[in-house]
Amino acid sequence: MTELQAERASETLSTPRIETRSFRSRYLDVLIALIAFAVLAALPLFFGSKALLDFVIRCSAFGLFATSLNLLVGYTGMISFGHGMFFGLGAYGFGLLMQRTGVPIPVAFVATLAITAVFAAIIGAICVRLKEIYFAFVTLAFQMLIHSTILTWASLTGGDQGLRGGIPRPAFLGIDLANHVHLYITSCALLVLGLLLMRQIAQSPFGYTLRMIRDNARRTSFIGIDVWRAKLTIFVLAALFASTGGMVMALFVSGAYPEFAYWTISGEGIFINMLGGVTTFLGPTVGTVLLLVLNDTVTRFTEYHGIVLGVVILFFAIGLRKGLMDYVLEWYAQRRGGPGERG
Amino acid sequence: MTRTRQPGISRRATLAVMGAGAVTIAAPWVVRAQTKTIKIGMPTILSGRVAQLGTSSRNAVLLEVEKVNAAGGLAGRQIEMVIRDSKGQPQEAARVARELVNTDGCEVLFDAEASSGSFAVHEVARDLGVLCIHTCSEASSLTADPKQHLPNAFRCVRQGIHDSIVGGSYAAAIAKAKGLKKWATCSPDYAYGRDTTGEFALYLKRFAPDVEIISESWPKLFQPDYTEVVTKILQAKPQALYTCLWGGDLTSYIDQANIYALFTQMELFAVNMADYTALTVVKNLPKGIHSGNRYIKTFPKTPENAAWGDAYRAKYNEYPTNWSWQNATAVMLLTEAAKKANSTDGKKVAEALRGLTIKCPFGADGTVTMRAEDNTLVGYAIGWGTTIPQEPYVPEVKAGDWKTIFELEAEWKKSKGYT
Repeated sequence: MTELQAERASETLSTPRIETRSFRSRYLDVLIALIAFAVLAALPLFFGSKALLDFVIRCSAFGLFATSLNLLVGYTGMISFGHGMFFGLGAYGFGLLMQRTGVPIPVAFVATLAITAVFAAIIGAICVRLKEIYFAFVTLAFQMLIHSTILTWASLTGGDQGLRGGIPRPAFLGIDLANHVHLYITSCALLVLGLLLMRQIAQSPFGYTLRMIRDNARRTSFIGIDVWRAKLTIFVLAALFASTGGMVMALFVSGAYPEFAYWTISGEGIFINMLGGVTTFLGPTVGTVLLLVLNDTVTRFTEYHGIVLGVVILFFAIGLRKGLMDYVLEWYAQRRGGPGERG
Repeated sequence: MTRTRQPGISRRATLAVMGAGAVTIAAPWVVRAQTKTIKIGMPTILSGRVAQLGTSSRNAVLLEVEKVNAAGGLAGRQIEMVIRDSKGQPQEAARVARELVNTDGCEVLFDAEASSGSFAVHEVARDLGVLCIHTCSEASSLTADPKQHLPNAFRCVRQGIHDSIVGGSYAAAIAKAKGLKKWATCSPDYAYGRDTTGEFALYLKRFAPDVEIISESWPKLFQPDYTEVVTKILQAKPQALYTCLWGGDLTSYIDQANIYALFTQMELFAVNMADYTALTVVKNLPKGIHSGNRYIKTFPKTPENAAWGDAYRAKYNEYPTNWSWQNATAVMLLTEAAKKANSTDGKKVAEALRGLTIKCPFGADGTVTMRAEDNTLVGYAIGWGTTIPQEPYVPEVKAGDWKTIFELEAEWKKSKGYT
């Protein structure tokens, strides 16, 4: 039997089993998402703390952003240093549409996603051809271009003072985002829905194509896959989720500021991924919670938070040599006596 | 015999974690129960490039609060300051401000943020309805733009437009006296730099119509090397140069321009020079730089101002900054407003603050006023003078005329569509 025949034979044998498994796992994902949303939505009933709700809203914004970055970094091996530009685009696009056009929130939301998609497609078409450090630096260059545009186009963006005067939040479908609890529930819904969609992307055949590109792009193209198109698609999709994170942040602070599109936001995204781990789907979400807890706790006690965060980075980079979720997963697998399953 | 430790979390550790959790969750209620002290929250920049300004704001506030507490507190309640770092990031400033009110139970906010951070805290004040005093942002639109107006938010800060009017009229007088017709500008390339320079040029030309701007340079914020800017100005051969570079940028610029003897060839007007943070850092401070006052203990030339500057220096072993006097004034205004309202209730204090005039070491005539129409500080000491390389650095300051400022400010507001 030739190699090809053997492959075909194994395909016929294994395909139905894989399909059933993926079908089941998809239902399981939806179930977990529903439970997670129910738990998050019930929090205000048990805890009156507005700070807790604020914390979860910020987790939603950064969680969506960091997980979308992981689609590029962890799944496709594209280390983007400029992913923060889409976070900024989301915040500015949404804020400007709400301030200047007065359209309903869902329309502004969809329109912002459309604007982000156009930008991401143009920027991605140029960047994704490049590899490794060249890709990283060209994405960084585009980010700085967008940041500089925001700073200099003061008549539209308000320059370095940002979008002032608050973002109007007219009620829609009984949801009033000016109400803190409504904003909280909406942010949770966006987070859970965003994570669920990204999970589906990661677990789909397309998601496995991305892993293949990460592991060996040349071999992937030899088996007939258009690597450029796959990379561009994930670049645009990741931008859409980052943009959603930006919109949540814009709603939280009721404004948009040039710092949202600055390279430090991209740096924070990479740091979150380092903290949580890039080989598991929930790594970036865990990293977000870790970073925000660290940040909020440390800044309460000292202005020398830089030192503390630096020590934490060193601990993860030199001590654990991996993110927290990667470590936990490996530890769990070792206890069970088998290799850890990686995403 | 050796004791083996069971894997997993011990019962004692679990109890400790649960206890810590309960304390964290209960903290806000415990805080609110202690109503004897009044907490004032203050997000400011305590890390990064402008940390020195945030630290000087904190120092000034603590200096004043100590005095207020010793005199019986704010309408009988001792003040406790809760001061936290925002890292100069607007989203962090908003987060910290919300945390200070929602978790720490602060009843008043001092927003010691610069630029975009102050607008982020302004939105928190809009959302939570808490009494907020901006103490650092000089952006005129924060209070001049009626869209920004909030009954519970006040600005206790000098303003860009006031500085430009006074600077323009002072520079025009010198230009006329010395025949300085060809001018160059060199300011940081961001909204503050461009707006302030534009407004300065506007008023300079208004008071001295034959002045011409022959060269403009816009170095980047925090640019390390100014060689090309300096040579560009030298080639243009202007008679005077205006700059609104500030802090470390201004001191590096002067140090680098000194190598080319730039300041022997033209008059320099640097609005942000007369601040101790810049004056004491420049290696060879040229004589005769024209500057607006930021904080200088010799202007206003009163014993009260000198005593305040000395007390600050004695306590912290450094000079106060422009942010210091503004934050100190905020405490003074709040204390008087609470006394007038005989209450610490945010709404009553806000009502008392509106239009309030108090005695103040930093007032042009010994008083400052929280103008009622736009909740902003007026009547503070504002003027321009020339530097000398040693103390008192700016021996004579020519005070700006507030009557002219009010007239031109009203005109400016109209031109911007604010009134």
